[in-house]
Amino acid sequence: MIYFQVLANGLVLGGLYACIAVGFSLVWGVLNVINILHGTFIVLGSYIALFSYNLLGIHPFVSVVTAGAALYLIGHAVQSTLVNRVIAAPVLMTLTLTFGLDLLLNNLMLVAFKADYRKLVLENPLGQLEIGPVFMPLDRVAAMGLALLLTFLLYRLLRDSRIGRAIVAVRMDREAASLMGVDVSRINAVTFGLGAMMAGAAGSLLSIVYPISPLNSGMFLGKAFVICVLGGLGSVPGAIVGGLALGIIESFGAIWFGPEHAVTISFALLILILIFRPAGLIGKRGFE
Amino acid sequence: MIGSMKFSRRFVVALGGAAAIGLATGGVATAQDVIKIGAPLPLTGPLSPEGVKQQQGYDLWAEAANAKGGIKVGGKTYKVQLVYADYASNTPRAVQTAERLITEDKVNFLFSPFGSGAAKAASTVSEKYAIPTVAATASSEQVYDQGYKYLFGTFTPNQTLTEPLADLVTAKDKNVKRVAILARNDLFPLAIGQEMEKSAKSRNLEVVMFEKYAIGTMDHASAITQMRAAKPDWIFATGYINDLILIRKQMKDLGVKAPVVTMIAGPAYQEFIDASGPLAENISSAAWWHPAVRYKGEDVFGTTEAFNKAWADKYKSEPDYAQASAAAAGAVLQLAIEKAGTLDGAKVRDALAAMDAVTFYGRIKFGPTGQVTSLAPPVFQIQGGKPMVIMPAEIKQAEFKFGVN
Amino acid sequence: MKPWLWLVVFVAACALVPVFGNNYALRLATIMCLYAGLALSWNFIGGMAGYPSFAAAAFFGLGAYVSAVLQSKGLPIGVTWAAAGLGATVFAALIGMAILHLKGHYFAIASLAVVEVLREVVNTAEDLTGGGMGMNIPLPGMPVDVQARLFFFAMLTMTVLLLAVTIVVSRSKLGFGLRCISQNEDAADILGIDTTFYKVAAFCLSAFGVAVIGAIYASWVQYIEPPDVFDILYSVKPLVMVLLGGLGTIFGPVIGAVIYLALEELVWRNFLTVHAAVLGGLIVALVLFLPNGIGAVIRDRTKRAAVRS
Repeated sequence: MIYFQVLANGLVLGGLYACIAVGFSLVWGVLNVINILHGTFIVLGSYIALFSYNLLGIHPFVSVVTAGAALYLIGHAVQSTLVNRVIAAPVLMTLTLTFGLDLLLNNLMLVAFKADYRKLVLENPLGQLEIGPVFMPLDRVAAMGLALLLTFLLYRLLRDSRIGRAIVAVRMDREAASLMGVDVSRINAVTFGLGAMMAGAAGSLLSIVYPISPLNSGMFLGKAFVICVLGGLGSVPGAIVGGLALGIIESFGAIWFGPEHAVTISFALLILILIFRPAGLIGKRGFE
Repeated sequence: MIGSMKFSRRFVVALGGAAAIGLATGGVATAQDVIKIGAPLPLTGPLSPEGVKQQQGYDLWAEAANAKGGIKVGGKTYKVQLVYADYASNTPRAVQTAERLITEDKVNFLFSPFGSGAAKAASTVSEKYAIPTVAATASSEQVYDQGYKYLFGTFTPNQTLTEPLADLVTAKDKNVKRVAILARNDLFPLAIGQEMEKSAKSRNLEVVMFEKYAIGTMDHASAITQMRAAKPDWIFATGYINDLILIRKQMKDLGVKAPVVTMIAGPAYQEFIDASGPLAENISSAAWWHPAVRYKGEDVFGTTEAFNKAWADKYKSEPDYAQASAAAAGAVLQLAIEKAGTLDGAKVRDALAAMDAVTFYGRIKFGPTGQVTSLAPPVFQIQGGKPMVIMPAEIKQAEFKFGVN
Repeated sequence: MKPWLWLVVFVAACALVPVFGNNYALRLATIMCLYAGLALSWNFIGGMAGYPSFAAAAFFGLGAYVSAVLQSKGLPIGVTWAAAGLGATVFAALIGMAILHLKGHYFAIASLAVVEVLREVVNTAEDLTGGGMGMNIPLPGMPVDVQARLFFFAMLTMTVLLLAVTIVVSRSKLGFGLRCISQNEDAADILGIDTTFYKVAAFCLSAFGVAVIGAIYASWVQYIEPPDVFDILYSVKPLVMVLLGGLGTIFGPVIGAVIYLALEELVWRNFLTVHAAVLGGLIVALVLFLPNGIGAVIRDRTKRAAVRS
């Protein structure tokens, strides 16, 4: 009987994980940039939701929009003023650049917001859904639903809009896209902005689940890495599959081998997947 | 090539600028007649919330001491000057910081870095230079059993937290039989979990679950699901504040209830109560100090009430045990310096070892290893959004309540 | 012959520290050698072969724990250091054969995952390692001043050894092969270079260096715990240092390590709570304005001076 609950735990956790990873995967896949800032962007989104709720009474589900928009602007600016300058350099350069930026931004957040763990405590908590012996926390279910919705919208955007097609074109072949008249620098900035937007939206959803502190950024980033590899880089549906897979693996891993091993199992699995299925669990289909 | 030359010059200018700012901020003129006390703090990194608490405690003490003219040593008074350095929550860096403070900044005394691990590692350095060192936040007995002479600590050993809790719960309700322990796999939280296991077993309580979780765990659902299946009467969770906020939240999410839920070390902090909201209700805990204790001290703060007031005036909040312990470390050091009548490290060390004094923080008498032995940590419970003392009886503020839903 | 000359100059400069400096200077010099050693080790795989490895923290922690465990069993420290180096080399050979066929980011992530797995393995092998409680490895019966010198010279010896190996490798067939791989691996393969063997060799060299340094480090600080020695910063810092000094060059890693330590110390001393931000800003500035490393600027200057004269 306990396994139904564990499965439910894994699914709702997986929803959160998917939401953490989508933006990271997009930036990595399209721009070939490992964005170390991603975790800090998520935390920034959480703070926007926290302050909006505490000061203005705005529900975090509404803040998804404002946090997403704010982070889009930041992401767009970071890419067009900084990352674009070295976008053609080897992987290590862009990685080092975002590492430096992360040190900077995270430290400034630490000074501005203090390291204390805070939490968005809803006045009317969403409660739990009880299905027989299985408990599903509604805030997680809702966060998962919203994450799926946002991811779906992003997916449609990439498939159906002009800019989306341009992003996909850049992902497939930068030079060719450039020759076809795509303004690659602008597409880069838009893509990085979209990645940051997803981080901001995720952050505001997570504000009702996790304690909020600049110190959490590393945890989010670590999860995003694993999920992207599980699901396949740069693939939006892949991030969902990777997130759900990781959530379920961790939940069952913790039950079978003890909670202290849950994270180890996911990383060991990551290495195995890389060795045997480097394109991720669902192959290389990407956005297509 | 020309491009890189131009940029390099610009870069050098930027570096020069950084250095100039450094000189402007770092080069504070040192007055005569000051006592310098070094304090390596984790102001950035995972422990930064703790680092800030310690700094607040030290600052308040230094202000209080200086407001009375300073520390009297023989016929002279010296102003207190604190020298802070951030070790970014990294233990080896804490050791390096301690050595830097001693050799470069020439501090007379040292406050240990945060927690048992870092305090122990840094004690090697202060021992080497014979610098009396007070640890405000190190409770593990292994920190003090190295035979060092210059290290003193204001926290009693870990089991002094779990024993009174176990006494209290078993005395109040004979039906509490099954204990589930969930501990963070990290020096202090794991040690506390193990002490709880001992305390439970020695009272014939059944430990139905003992699980550890890794540092940085983002989900406790599986452990809590297991816990629900084990049907415990007493849930005992250890970790730091962020872990415990999440564990409490997920217990609610998964419908886990128990007559007694104890968490260490988080509920003593106002941040835990703020972040958990109504879920904090009836969570019990123990800590080395509580603002409800009442002592008439001979230290710079005097009574506990006076300390609480000084704290509230400066920080607009109630002090918690970590903040109070940091201030107490300063107050105790001051008593020892005044008693010794000299800044000589060895003599101050002897004064600390011989100390038996009452302070706002409690009676301070260090055992043979340097760890304080004269204090009994209070047990408390969150009731009505406030931490209310349950034990010891003299300062009891409320009766223990069963049931955490 | 020129690199060897510089090597002698470097050793002479370092050897003077214990004579003139105080204990803190000695500690800084030890850290400098540690950094330089890490950067030199990383350079084999990251600089010469062009594989973005983040495994350094794994080897560092592995070396530290192998040495600590053996030391606690009563083996002499020299033996434990050697064992740490050998153990990590074997480990790297096995892991390398599995993950070195991955390219670019995929390799980077796999190497990063190795760190996470090893950290948790050590964390849970409590009987051997003490798990989350950490490990104490005191070195009784030796005055602390003597210890400080011992560890400094051990670290220095290791750095010099790695520097010598770097010089030898860069002039050998191995170095040539690695550079080919970094330029174009497929082409190298067609040329008949056994790319797998070369890459694994570079990975092993890198692991050996880092692990011995980690082992010396463990004996030096005498208390280790998993989050400290498997700290991902041990993977990131060497990379930044090598970028600072110049990728794939002989002295670049050493120059980068010296500059990095100087910056770190300067910033750390003068900015109490924002030192990470200032360091981050400097790294950003470096990437944007000096993408080829400070070493490149120095080389450019000397070349120009040569042209002028």
